[in-house]
Parts: sequence; C-alpha cells; structure tokens
Amino acid sequence: MAYETVIGLEVHVQLNTHSKAFCADDTSFGGEPNTQVSVVSLGHPGTLPKANGQQIALATRLGLALGCKINQRTTFDRKNYFYADLPKGYQITQDQRPICVGGDLDIKMGDAWKSIRIHHIHMEEDAGKSIHTLAPKHSFIDLNRAGTPLLEIVTEPDLRSGEEVDAFMTAMRQLVRYLEVSDGNMEQGSLRCDVNISVRPHGQTSYNDRCEVKNVNSMKFARQAIDYEVKRQIKIMENGGKVKQQTLNFDPNTGVTSPLREKEDAHDYRYFPEPDLPPVVLSDAYLNNTNQALPQLPKAAYNELTQKYQLSDYDASILVEDRETLLYFQGLIQHTSNYKAAANLIINRLLPWKQENKSTLSTFPVPSTSLAALIALVEEGKVNSTAAYQNILNALITKPDQAPLALAQEMNLIQSADSDFLSDLAKEVIAQFPDKVKEYQKGKKGLIGFFMGELMKKSKGKADPKASTEILQQLLK
Amino acid sequence: MTVNTDLISRLEHLARLELSEQERLSLQSDLTNILDMVEKLQELDTTQVEPLVYMNEAVNVWREDEVKHQVEREAALKNAPDQDGTFFKVPKVIDL
Repeated sequence: MAYETVIGLEVHVQLNTHSKAFCADDTSFGGEPNTQVSVVSLGHPGTLPKANGQQIALATRLGLALGCKINQRTTFDRKNYFYADLPKGYQITQDQRPICVGGDLDIKMGDAWKSIRIHHIHMEEDAGKSIHTLAPKHSFIDLNRAGTPLLEIVTEPDLRSGEEVDAFMTAMRQLVRYLEVSDGNMEQGSLRCDVNISVRPHGQTSYNDRCEVKNVNSMKFARQAIDYEVKRQIKIMENGGKVKQQTLNFDPNTGVTSPLREKEDAHDYRYFPEPDLPPVVLSDAYLNNTNQALPQLPKAAYNELTQKYQLSDYDASILVEDRETLLYFQGLIQHTSNYKAAANLIINRLLPWKQENKSTLSTFPVPSTSLAALIALVEEGKVNSTAAYQNILNALITKPDQAPLALAQEMNLIQSADSDFLSDLAKEVIAQFPDKVKEYQKGKKGLIGFFMGELMKKSKGKADPKASTEILQQLLK
Repeated sequence: MTVNTDLISRLEHLARLELSEQERLSLQSDLTNILDMVEKLQELDTTQVEPLVYMNEAVNVWREDEVKHQVEREAALKNAPDQDGTFFKVPKVIDL
C-alpha cells in the first residue's frame, strides 16, 4: 500500500533581545554557568515579572511578516509543571490569546511554491539547562537560559516529507534573520523544532494519531528522525497495529526514536491566566508602524530578481539567501544595469572573499561604483573578463581608491583589437606550434582554443578574444 | 465535583507532596467544602459579567530591553540545598 507522511512542526525561535523576557538578565550565549541570573529568574518568592517591550515588538514583526492576524489584546498564562530547570514551578507562556493566529510561510520545492499554514505563534520563556552526565546521582542545573524569550510557531499539518521540513526550516531561518528577530543559529539552539509525524494510506483524508519527536536540533537529525519514524509507523500499520500517540526522543548517535513519555497520562499543566503580567494591548498605530518598518521579504526579493532583473533561479536563490547579500546586489545595480554581471561578480568573487576573510560584504573594500566601472570596462570590450574580475579586482582590493580604468592602464591590461598587433602575435603562435597547425588543418578545429590561449598569454591578457579568433582563423586557413 | 481518593492522589502527585492517611482525609473534607462553596457561587447568573482576571486595569506594563539587576553566582547559589559553586545540584532527574 502507498502511504503519505503528514508532518506538523512546533518551531522554537529564540529572540535576539539583550535581556530576558520577564526580567533584565543578560541573554548572551555561552556565559559561565549561573552568572546570568536574578532573583526573578531564580524564582525567589515575592519577585515579580515585567515584560520586555522588545520581545513584543519582535513577535509582532514576525507575525506581520507571516501574514498572521495579530491579537490586539494578548495575554500571558502559566503552564505548571515541576522540573529542576524551571525554578518557579511554572512557565510563563500564552495559551488562551496568543499574539499571532493564522498566517503562512511559502517554501520553494523545485520550481513550485508551496504554502505552509501557521496555526498560531505564542510568546514564552525558555527553561534552564540540565546536565545529566557530570555525576552518577546528580543532575547539574545552569539557569542562564531560564527566562530567555522564545516564540513558538505551530504549523498546521501541511508538510509531507523531510525535504519539505528542511525547506520550511531554511525559509524560517532566512525570514527571522531578514527581520532581525533572531540569529536563527541552530547549533546554539536559537532555532529548533519538535516534529509531529503521522502516516496514513494515500487518499485517506483524516489524520492518524501522531508521534512527537523532541530534541531535533539540526536539519540532518530532523530528516533522519522522520525517515526512521515513517518506517516504524508503516511497519506497525502493515502488521495490523495502530500507532499510539506518544512523545519520542531522537538519539542522534543511533538514529533511533524511543518513547519519552506516553501522551495518554498526559501532563496536566493546569494552565491559568498569569496574574502578575497585565494584558498587552497593541494599537492600530503600533501595528501600522511595525508593518511599515518591515524589510523586503525573501520571497518578494526572489521574485524581483527573477522577474524584473531576469536572473536565473540559481543566481536569485543565492543572492536572497541573506539580506546583506541582497542589499549589496541592490546597491550595486544602482550603478550598473548589467544585472547578470553584477550577480556573477557577487557570487563568484565577493561571497568567496567574505567566506575566506570570515567577514561581511559591507566591509568589502572596493566601492560599488568601482565594481560597476569594472563591469563597464568588460562590457565595452576594454578589458577581458579574466583581467577585470581577477587581476584588476585583486589590485583594487589592496588599492580600493584607484579607478579601475587607470589600474587597467597601469597594469597594461587594456585589451587590444588592433589588427596589426594581434596578427603579429597570431603569426608568432603559428610559427611556434607547426605540429598543432597541421592537426588543425587536418580538421581538429577544436585546437582554435589552444591557439587563442597561447595568443592571450603572449598579449598578457590584452587581446580582444573575438578579434583574435577571427585573425587566427584567417591565418590558419 | 466529588473529591475522592483518586483525585487526592493525583493532586498529591501534581504538587509533589507526600501526605499521611490522616492528612489525606482532612484535605478531602477541606477541598469538598471549598468546591461546595464555589458551586454555591455558580448559582449566580454571570453571563453578562466579564471575567475578572486582573486586579487593576493597567495594560502594557513593559520595560526597556536593558541588562540589569543580575546577582552574583555566589549569591545565586547560596540558598540552594546542594550546589558545587558553579551549578545547582539536584537528585538525578532524567525523563528518559
């Protein structure tokens, strides 16, 4: 029988605020254990939370970018449970009136876009970190992370494969980075997801009971966990069994999921309104201002690059990957209308430069106007592209205030279409390789490239390729 | 709602308490009284009354996103039943 995989995600995004959600502790990653704490995050009696305005701003920004309906009156609730990394005995979260409802995120699967619906987004605080491996009978607790602001994005069960989950998480990471609401760093846990998986026979419209896989902190693990889980559930169904709803833990070392706890004796979280935090009321003006301050979003940028500037899917996808690259491209094409050349220059030279120097494009030393002038030199046939994008650009990186044309002259790279100059060089090349000339004349026409290469070397990169080829062909007849 | 022994033992678990048989009985009668009182209140028609959640009408009590009021680690760990100068130590709790 053919089966269909049904997946919904609970994505946790750590907001990039300086301080925690409901108290003013530092949220920086990697501090010494228990140094980013206060009486509030430690859960001491008599302390009170106070909401960080920035987390509300960031939550609103993401919600508007995803096309969510924003609840203009949104409230906090307590989720009660005992765990050593949760000093208060409850997590402040949103249950009844989460800040965002609905919305969707489009993912690109091959050439087609697919819309993944968002059920809701709520604000909550993170728990501390438990370390179980330091001693046989004790767990060690670090509360630096306790109280860090998170958004939980809950999707509808619209995803159908590990590839789609990968695409969704990639698109979400790209979006939160565009919006500057999170650094989206999966290794540091700023972006992580729980994966709800069920399998049903093709054509069935209702959903089967799902299993939730926790602790998936990389895309590789998510795909492994999904692959394993789908096989496991199909096997149960083929053997006439029924998949039980449960929470599973994924072990990256074995690639296997195992039960964490049964959902049936489900946790009784006894949610109730958080009396210590007054409601949040968002005015129309607040929403309008937030909306107007949204940057161009990745999908709109992709469409602009492929439609208005006629770039390929490959080029556009690379240029919109992060906002800095997009802005750099958009800045560069203020000075040149050769969009393809601008894209190539960024993709082939600037991004590798950024990678090698572990730097940012904004610190690339050569100004956009010079890059545009370089593109123009190639377009006008004054220098060939190798000379421009290798030799001259390398020189520009060390001498960024020089004009590309002056450098080209100084480096003796101005291309020559002068036929006397070129035919002298062509004659030299022909005299130098009599064997190759015979082969060419016997029909091995591909050798023209060889002669061109030799001629180009002799010209030190200055020969105009088109004029040279014509002269060579003429002389070799 | 009846407060039976099952409910008491569930509440005991949720609150991480261990009660004696005597305490269970007295809690059962206390809770029954409390719930009876609430049931009495529910005789009132409150369909036209907004639920009261907050004790005043304030909204949007926010703070600036600034780091402050942290405590030193030594002070943070000081009141813990068990600690090693770096971490809080608790009996091994792993839900696997």
